[in-house]
Amino acid sequence: MKTRIVSLVLAIVMVMASLFTFAACNPNQQAGDVTEFNFDTETPVTITFYHTMGEALRTVLDKYIVEFNKLYPNITVEHKQVGGYDDVREQIKTEITVGDQPNIAYCYPDHVALYNVAQAVQTLDDLIASTETVTRADGTTEQLGLTQQQIDNFIDGYYNEGKQFGDGKMYTLPMSKSTEVLYYNKTFFDDHPDLKVPTTWDELEETCAKIKEIDPKSIPLGYDSEANWFITMCEQYGSPYTSATGEHFLFDNEVNRGFVAEFREWYKKGYVTTQEISGGYTSALFTKDPAEEGNCYMCIGSSAGANHQIPKNDDGSFKFEVGITSIPQVNAEAPKVISQGPSLCIFKKVNAQEVLASWLFVKFLTTTVDFQAEFGMTSGYVPVLENVTDNAVYAEELKHANGYEGLALLSTKVCLEQVDAYYTSPAFNGSSTARDEVGKLMQVCLTTSESDVAAAIKAAFEAAVAECEYQAD
Amino acid sequence: MTEQKTVTMQERDMQKVNVRQRVVKIAVQIMLYTFLVLMALIILFPFYFMLVSSVKSLAEYKEPIVSFAQTLWPRKVILYNYVEAFKTANLGRLFLNTMYVGIVSTLLSLVITVLTAFAFARLEFKGKNALFAALLATMMIPGELFTITNYATVSALHWKNTYTVLIVPFLVSVFYIYLLRQNFLQIPNELYLAAKVDGTSDLKYLWKVMIPLALPSLISITILKMMGAWNSYVWPRLVANDEAYHLITNGLRNAFTDAKGEVNIPVQMAAVAIVSFPLFLVFIFLRKYIMKGVSRSGIKG
Amino acid sequence: MVESKNSWKAWIYLSPAIVLLLVFTAWPIVNTVRMAFLENYSSMGAAGGITYQFGIGNFVQVLQYDKFITCLVNTMLLCVLTVPISTLLALIIAVCLNAIRPFQRLLQTIFFLPYVTNSIAIGMVFAAMFNMIGNNFGGENELIITAGIVNSVIEFFGGEPINWINAGSSYFHNMFVMVVYIVWNALPFKILVLLGGLQSVNKQYYEAAKVDGTSRLRTFTRITVPLLSPMIAYVVITGFIGGFKEYSSIVGIFGEDMGPTGDPRRLNTMVGFIYDSLSNHQGRASAAALILFGIIFIVTMINLYVSKKKTHY
Repeated sequence: MKTRIVSLVLAIVMVMASLFTFAACNPNQQAGDVTEFNFDTETPVTITFYHTMGEALRTVLDKYIVEFNKLYPNITVEHKQVGGYDDVREQIKTEITVGDQPNIAYCYPDHVALYNVAQAVQTLDDLIASTETVTRADGTTEQLGLTQQQIDNFIDGYYNEGKQFGDGKMYTLPMSKSTEVLYYNKTFFDDHPDLKVPTTWDELEETCAKIKEIDPKSIPLGYDSEANWFITMCEQYGSPYTSATGEHFLFDNEVNRGFVAEFREWYKKGYVTTQEISGGYTSALFTKDPAEEGNCYMCIGSSAGANHQIPKNDDGSFKFEVGITSIPQVNAEAPKVISQGPSLCIFKKVNAQEVLASWLFVKFLTTTVDFQAEFGMTSGYVPVLENVTDNAVYAEELKHANGYEGLALLSTKVCLEQVDAYYTSPAFNGSSTARDEVGKLMQVCLTTSESDVAAAIKAAFEAAVAECEYQAD
Repeated sequence: MTEQKTVTMQERDMQKVNVRQRVVKIAVQIMLYTFLVLMALIILFPFYFMLVSSVKSLAEYKEPIVSFAQTLWPRKVILYNYVEAFKTANLGRLFLNTMYVGIVSTLLSLVITVLTAFAFARLEFKGKNALFAALLATMMIPGELFTITNYATVSALHWKNTYTVLIVPFLVSVFYIYLLRQNFLQIPNELYLAAKVDGTSDLKYLWKVMIPLALPSLISITILKMMGAWNSYVWPRLVANDEAYHLITNGLRNAFTDAKGEVNIPVQMAAVAIVSFPLFLVFIFLRKYIMKGVSRSGIKG
Repeated sequence: MVESKNSWKAWIYLSPAIVLLLVFTAWPIVNTVRMAFLENYSSMGAAGGITYQFGIGNFVQVLQYDKFITCLVNTMLLCVLTVPISTLLALIIAVCLNAIRPFQRLLQTIFFLPYVTNSIAIGMVFAAMFNMIGNNFGGENELIITAGIVNSVIEFFGGEPINWINAGSSYFHNMFVMVVYIVWNALPFKILVLLGGLQSVNKQYYEAAKVDGTSRLRTFTRITVPLLSPMIAYVVITGFIGGFKEYSSIVGIFGEDMGPTGDPRRLNTMVGFIYDSLSNHQGRASAAALILFGIIFIVTMINLYVSKKKTHY
């Protein structure tokens, strides 16, 4: 009996102890938005920045951190590559739950919506509007907020992405952007004059049919991202996809089922494949030797992935010349292309100085023309500033755009030409699930082996909505 | 004389019966061997397939089957796949990581297990039986139940993507403690008391007497623990997504799936063969300990 | 005397284990129960200051979720199929092994080999064996690139190749492959235990049966099985427990999508479900873990009850 009592007491103590230790670890998320805007240029402050940059980009970043430190020697920027975008999200998510998030992070709108469940992201409106003056180490001054000139320099579509969260508040500034473009085998198209580089989906279908006649063993089009395809079609048709407010998941509708059914027909005819269906980036099929089986003559992929679309042989020669153009449209008069690529968000901290330092750094990265130019040239992403062509090196570089080694620049050029066509979809907690689900849905519907295709498609849509609702609940 | 004769007659009868029995017995034995050999071949076939595929060229592997001889024996043995596998999956790094995690966690685990088992087997303290019962009870709970919270705990401790996270959470195995305690209990208590009288310290006694006597169990534990590191998949996947900390299984599963376009199965099979080889080697040399440990644990790794 | 003298020493020896067990075993148990009964609990929300109601909402949501039911059905099906098949097969092999002398050791070693493998790695070998096509699969534009050996053999004998595990394959064929693989994987342990049991059975029983002229089948059902029943109960129980925790063998064959291309998660299991919920829905993950624990507990109890009635000690 005595042992029992002792062990019981012991057990209770253990449980209490462990609960207590955890309570102590639990974050005290009392850090609100900053309310004071006096940046102290004396006291040292360290900020951390999570991103996904590879080595080449980190070199560029380091170079400009040195520049930044000439202005603000008391700010130490520690940055870290945390795998890919999903890794950054997962890492920060777990860190938020213990109150240990970084100061700045690469983000997609979905991520911000997720972080906001824990109310961890700093709103930028007050910072942008602030007219406080900061004196920099070189004796010059700057306004803490953004000047009208600086705001105007941003490409509008990119800048406004920061407000896509349903509450009208600004949460992010754009860092570098990309979209989807259509890569095509220019040599092949030139050799077959009756082939037209498609500008609409109807034309695409015709082109695919013709290619299939010329080369039956090919798959004319590879579309990398199933999810982008679905969301872009919604946008181009003007049919609902999701909404940040009210009922979130609106994509189960007749128009959407219609285009999915059409693409299913294309898939059956062997016109198209996707990343998930082919088991790898379709650029692999596009850059294959056209004599091989299952190659693609067109490929819709990220503009930032242009370097993967170069069909280079091992001996350094090229299999063919690549052309780049906008993706096909429903209505070529009112084009819509997806806006992708990272933005920057700032996390709330108890120490307001950290937030202000983070803001100064974010502002530096996003508004400095030279950085944007150099970063764009290194990454293949599109700079977010309209006046980036002010940078002489950048303007000069763009002239070297071609369908071989200079494909990344060609891609950037095509992107810059269509800056008015960019759209973003609403971001809310659950928007990333919607994205995943419509991607899967495309894949399932395209490949379904059910005899009643319409019923299978209907079922797939219903299942996707149900899944979204379960996950978002 | 007569006595002698009876014996021979009996012997002859016996022999007759023996012949019949022997025929039946041989027939049965032939059936048994046929069955067992057949089953053994089925069991072995995946290994054979792995080895044969791993030395074929991709082109040969893909050819449609014409004759069995062709499928079951490579036309040309190509060892380059092994080199390729080592490079593609970065196996060298994976091996080192796995060895490091395996060795460190085994050593620490042995120390903890020995100390704990010793306390439970030899020392007296309040609540000993209750505590031991509580420990045994946790064995019933599926490990996945712990994972949810442990994931949060190691995140909070900033252990993600470190070696620590792959080692520390699994250092204590209730089963090993149980196994070793049983073993320690078999060592007569008189030895301990005698040692006490001689003024030998507990630790010295543990080191000089108990550990040597329980060596077979300790070897079993070591091997199972090492195999565990070799086979662990889920936990490293959750908490060590940084490639620098990948263990062998994680690297293996992912290295070939994200390869461009097609999966090069011969290279993949070569990688599997490389990964399987050390386990077989250990098995060949330490068969007795493994089988002994396994039959008592009922757990894999 | 000894007690008081050693008490503090004992706690020192125990301390490393106790600390680790508190953090990585005791706390998780408490916390899992806590999270499971807080409706819709997520650690992100908790960090944001949301407070959660006590209730059984997580259990309700999980049980009403068709994907969880899929996981439950898959897991149960795999258990119900693989445990009897592997136990029976192992029993037959063990009895045969026990009846031979030469090469017994060698054969026993061979039968144990699958145990010393990495279940993900060998899963990849099985996947290659049952593979149909390398890529560009599905639909009219499918290109058969790589045929696995199983289909090669089927074709060699004039049959139509079967899509076992690739895009567009049927659930039946997927399950078939899983059962083959899991049984293959489960045999070594069962054979080892059962053979160990057989070797310790008193030979006198068999001598007696021989004298009585009992047939072999009868000897098997009337003597071998009853005498082995504790061992059989042991392998069945551990088989069920292992079966309910099935996860990595499916990853081995189908990858982390837990299903053929185009139908991910089709073969997901209870454990897979818990891992999927782990990072966003900690409350539901906990509820699922408790449900899994409940099922294992009940099945083990039933097994123990049945074997107590049927076991001869």
